Amino acid sequence: MKSLKKYLINKGGHFGIYGGRYVPEMLIPIMEEMEEAFYEAIKDKEFLKELDDLYKNYSGRPTPLYFCENLTKQLGGAKIYLKNEGLNHTGAHKINHCLGQALLAKKMGKKRLIAETGAGQHGLATATVAARFGLECTVYMGKRDYMRQRPNVFFMEQLGATVIPVEEGGQILRDAINAALKDLISNPEDTHYLLGTVCGPHPYPAMNTYFQKVVGEEVKKQLPVKPDYLVACTGGGSNAMGLFYDFFDDKSIKMIGVEAGGKGIKENKKKAQHAARFETGSVGVVEGFKSYFLQDEDGQIKETHSISAGLDYSGIGPQLAYLKDMKRIQFTYATDVKVLEAYKVLAKTEGIIGAMESCHAVAEVIKLAPTLPKSKTIVLNLSGRGDKDIFIVTKKLKDKKFQEFLTQHVHEK
Amino acid sequence: MKNRIMTHIVAGYPNMKECEERAIQFARSGIEFVEIQIPFSDPVADGPVIMKACEHSLKAGTKTKDCFNLMKRLSKRFKEEKLETKLLFMTYFNISHKYGLKKFCKDAKQVGAYGLIIPDIPIDEESHEGYLKECKANDLNPIQVISPITPDERLNKIGKVAKGFVYCVSRYGTTGAKSDLNPKLKTYLGKVRKYIDLPLAVGFGISNRAQINAVHKHAEIAVIGSALIESSSQQSINLFSVGFDVEEDF
Repeated sequence: MKSLKKYLINKGGHFGIYGGRYVPEMLIPIMEEMEEAFYEAIKDKEFLKELDDLYKNYSGRPTPLYFCENLTKQLGGAKIYLKNEGLNHTGAHKINHCLGQALLAKKMGKKRLIAETGAGQHGLATATVAARFGLECTVYMGKRDYMRQRPNVFFMEQLGATVIPVEEGGQILRDAINAALKDLISNPEDTHYLLGTVCGPHPYPAMNTYFQKVVGEEVKKQLPVKPDYLVACTGGGSNAMGLFYDFFDDKSIKMIGVEAGGKGIKENKKKAQHAARFETGSVGVVEGFKSYFLQDEDGQIKETHSISAGLDYSGIGPQLAYLKDMKRIQFTYATDVKVLEAYKVLAKTEGIIGAMESCHAVAEVIKLAPTLPKSKTIVLNLSGRGDKDIFIVTKKLKDKKFQEFLTQHVHEK
Repeated sequence: MKNRIMTHIVAGYPNMKECEERAIQFARSGIEFVEIQIPFSDPVADGPVIMKACEHSLKAGTKTKDCFNLMKRLSKRFKEEKLETKLLFMTYFNISHKYGLKKFCKDAKQVGAYGLIIPDIPIDEESHEGYLKECKANDLNPIQVISPITPDERLNKIGKVAKGFVYCVSRYGTTGAKSDLNPKLKTYLGKVRKYIDLPLAVGFGISNRAQINAVHKHAEIAVIGSALIESSSQQSINLFSVGFDVEEDF
């Protein structure tokens, strides 16, 4: 294959045996319309100029590539650089593909945006761009995520979005995706489904990869040397594809994706205690695409668990499944416990509070860096900042004083 | 066949025994087709009623194998009672994929399936999955599902591979979500017939005798799914009784 980069955004939407467009006939014309609009837009200089302007002046790109001097010293191995996507407007990398898709939706004459969200970061970014572009907005969120990421629900509502807690299934990300697909099936004419990761039917994986690739492109310009390792957490895979994409054609650069290890790689017939698809998952066709899923022997999708709502998903992007098969990306996982430790280490050594999702990548870097010589360079994608996790972390770290404050605050009139 | 209707059961809902009984009653009242839905955890094309029924069935432990056994028993019973009702499996592609598509088709034929209705395997994935090929090899009708926004060019392509009948979704949305019929049904089906020379089945949102009669003016087969999931057997039988044209909503 000449260029992996080209292949990963190919118009056919298949990546080896993965990807595709396994959707009911009702969705086919909608996906075709979107595909056509997307491949046209990325050849349109005006569109790209507008997007670039939004990246810069609305979201605050380029985000810094920060050399973690203290952490590097403390670990005593490879040099650690951190791409701080948490400094984007709305606090995570999700704004990148939201701006791209909203611009596209506007171009297609859509009046309404809908989205699914897990941690609430993608929903927040969607609500934000909807407000910016004057579009109506409905966000679906599994009831459980709705409860554990309540601050983001508040902000989405402030931005004018309607947030619908999904009561079906395990009440997490995948139930929200199902609900959003159903909304799209019911409103195919005026609605754009702003899917928030590199999953789903074609063209979503290719399209979101394209809109996220700015992350790696910036790193290439910002880093004084060639990186040896790139590390990113992987839920659906959008931040990983964003960091990795521009480096795919250089085979000397190693890439590591970190899945959610949850409470460890244990599961029963219905529920996994983790969301590490490449540990115990198998190939399936769900929610419109073919990839690895956590499923039982009949193909029923399992519920998952992660401390981070954003990685709590039973499927993974089809491009990542393909890249795993061809050994271009190596996958590992970090457990909830290790993630919390990493969260504390990063906060105390570098003064950066990372999102629980992104701290999966931090945990891997803490493990990896000391095993490498000082001459090596690691770039980790800190895909989001940790403000949104305030209540989860308070609970997990058993911060009594803050919990007292919260209780008091609630009772105050 | 006196009742050109297709009805629906979710295997294992409310339990295996009752849905089996229900299918037998459907057949005795002269229903032409019965869809047996193999429950799937992520049924994207289904509305809340069928979705809940699937969830319930899976929670009770229904396995794909149980659904094959159900059809096997029904086929045997229909044969004994000389009932001409045809049985179809309705499910999502992951179920057949995990089972092994080849084996799924072979076993479906063996237990007496007339065809398969799998909404999330569009014709475009044929070169990757060989679904139509396997159906053909096992003499199963791969029932194609089309919608009011399916463009002419696609209708033409689908017409070339369709077998048995074609399932025309009457409007946008998931199963059972609304109760009114699409007023443009006649125009829509007229367009479909330009490309497809097979009986047409119309479904989604059909819940009373008046609607069945309205569908039968334009299409050969009326599909009643969600509306029957929660109704009693007697209500269903009343609905199908030929000449029964009291407008009764469920």
